[in-house]
Amino acid sequence: MSEKAMLEIKHYTKSYNGTNKATDDVSLTVMSGDIYGFIGHNGAGKSTTIRAVVGVLDFTEGDIYIDGHSVKNEPMECKKITAYIPDNPDLYENLTGIQYLNFVSDVFSLDADVREERITKYADMFEITSALGDTISSYSHGMKQKVAIISALIHNPKLIVLDEPFVGLDPKATFKLKEVMHELCKEGTAIFFSTHVLDVAEKLCNKVAIIKQGKIVATGTMEEITEGHSLEERFLEAD
Amino acid sequence: MREGSILFKTLLLSTSQWNVYKHTQDKKKKRRVVGSTIGLVILFIMLMALCISMSIGYGMLGMTKAIPILCALMISLLAFVLTLFKTNGYLFQFKDFDMLMSLPFRESTVAGCKFLCMYVDTLPWFASISLAMLISYGIYAMPGIWVYPVWIILSIFIPIIPMLLASFVGFIIAKISSGFKKNNIVQVILIFAFIIFCFSLRFIIEDLIRDNKIQATLETASKITDEIAGYYYPAKWFSQAIVNGNILSMILLVGITVVLFIILFMIVGHSYMKVNSAMKSHAGLRAYKMTSLKKRSVVASVAFKELRRMLGSTQYLVNGAMGTVLSVLFALVVVIFGMDWIISKVAPGAPLDAYMLQPAIPFIIFFFTGMVATTTASPSLEGKNYWIIKSLPIKMKAVYQGKMLFNMLLNGTATVVAIILVCIASKSSFVDTILSVILGITLCAYSTCWGMVCGINHMNLDWENDVEVIKKGAAVAIYLVPNMIIVMGLIVLSVFLGTRMSHELVSVIFIAASLIIALICYGIVMKLAKKNS
Repeated sequence: MSEKAMLEIKHYTKSYNGTNKATDDVSLTVMSGDIYGFIGHNGAGKSTTIRAVVGVLDFTEGDIYIDGHSVKNEPMECKKITAYIPDNPDLYENLTGIQYLNFVSDVFSLDADVREERITKYADMFEITSALGDTISSYSHGMKQKVAIISALIHNPKLIVLDEPFVGLDPKATFKLKEVMHELCKEGTAIFFSTHVLDVAEKLCNKVAIIKQGKIVATGTMEEITEGHSLEERFLEAD
Repeated sequence: MREGSILFKTLLLSTSQWNVYKHTQDKKKKRRVVGSTIGLVILFIMLMALCISMSIGYGMLGMTKAIPILCALMISLLAFVLTLFKTNGYLFQFKDFDMLMSLPFRESTVAGCKFLCMYVDTLPWFASISLAMLISYGIYAMPGIWVYPVWIILSIFIPIIPMLLASFVGFIIAKISSGFKKNNIVQVILIFAFIIFCFSLRFIIEDLIRDNKIQATLETASKITDEIAGYYYPAKWFSQAIVNGNILSMILLVGITVVLFIILFMIVGHSYMKVNSAMKSHAGLRAYKMTSLKKRSVVASVAFKELRRMLGSTQYLVNGAMGTVLSVLFALVVVIFGMDWIISKVAPGAPLDAYMLQPAIPFIIFFFTGMVATTTASPSLEGKNYWIIKSLPIKMKAVYQGKMLFNMLLNGTATVVAIILVCIASKSSFVDTILSVILGITLCAYSTCWGMVCGINHMNLDWENDVEVIKKGAAVAIYLVPNMIIVMGLIVLSVFLGTRMSHELVSVIFIAASLIIALICYGIVMKLAKKNS
């Protein structure tokens, strides 16, 4: 499979009130088939970058391209091929799980048989099928996270952006999610995710970027970054 | 269009209490849905009764033709005011913003669907007015059968234009404030300024009418409504369609509504994300240095938390502090222009003077401050943070007392200041002033405790947006509507009693009555606190 730049962040800067920079000249590229880890301290600018990538946050300078489409100028084209899983999914509490998944399927115009097949597949995988008829307000954080993950996977996106995806997931679901991420990468999907869990990043990602106080301080393949050391050591050195 | 209908349908479903009732396994929640629905239905019936009594008056005086205009104007005014207060919460700063904007929806689609949801949510209020007026019109005018469906269809469109206008104002205010660091506060100030401007506009229009020497012809209520409809065309189109069967008026009302909707959301959609981005994301200074911290009691700490909660939400601040601001402004207007000037503006020709109105001063001020009790919404506003107070080693009694203390400090202070100012301007005696202040405080205590009872009994922690509990929550509606009607009645009653007995005696009677009711409500709150601990 030929590699293609699926996400290109070029000189992305987000500033507040013209002076206070949350992110400063961030540039990185995620190719199709990459599992790209984005690591940094709390408040380093990970979520700000991720929210700009998925078209939720307006930004000041630079541009972001998804499969060659500019997030600024062609947001609809970008959103059609992207899936976003926030760290704390704010789903519609009064909808049932299945109503929410059906809504997302409608948005992406999935045929009835396709949505049934995919929802069944992923809901069984994450062991949430029996709860899909209950209102989301009755779900635990982990269950909401699972519904958000399923909603991201059912439309076969080319790019999946995840903000701290493993927070709140039980060990089995964490394992399943990692498996799915590997599978999707083999099929050419690009995955860009932020995490604090360096062990997970080290084992899962083929590329990584470290962000500190809004600036990228290290980026490259896992081997280039670690150079025989652990990611944790490199991360603390970069600190 | 397709994406719009998908989103609209889902947004409706996500706020539908029927959907909650149908799917929740929680029996308590089901009971709450039923209780809230019954409460709201009672309020709709009360509103219908009020509208029917108003239109019966028109019918009995042979002014049947004015009923459609009156209906259109009442709906339009209500729609405009409600939207002005709600638009910020519906169109901006909503919780599902990230989720919706990451999906392939156009910005204009999201904004348009949010607007339509706001419209559908308030539609039962407009429908109550429309239906009540239609019944009266049907009885007195005995129109052709075609009038009934035309009335119903057109009255669906009537609230949309004022709602669009109010939304546009809300959008402009949000756009201006988004350029400021403290955009929340700027937005609140601009909304207050606009509301005060709207209040003044009423007097400006009246003065214009008088300057044009039309006053002589404005002897009947029918002619006043006709005159106002002359300024507001949608009401005129509605009336012409109903009374004369004018098809052009029908087309104009529907057509212009649709065109305005499309234009507005093309404009809003253009910078929707930019405005929302600016309002939702804030940079921290990261410059805090530990200093000495103040120690507070639990009750004071809860009250302070409530203050921070209010300052952090445009929606809460605008709605919660509206009565406070208006009461003080009203008092200042009385101080500057005098009570007689107010009487001549609000009730021209009425056999009233400042002295006669003296016993009603606390009720007039309470009309503003009692309009909102933060205690109605504050239990629900805990939302997802409810676990914090539940997990801390504090009694619910202290939590409720803290919330009540906050409302007393907010509205009680304003009430005292406003009453003193109005009493000075009305040249009330020292004893009358003191009694009025005491009555104002007991009324505030009553509204605080009654609001708390409504807030606890109709607590809703699963909301998507502040506005759901601040403006359209069952607790707020059940507190507000009867309260306002009763206060208006009490203003009239206190003036009447003041003509039969001494003003001091009138005040003492009302102080005793409101104190007893306040204590009963406080007792209920304490019982609920014990139950919920």
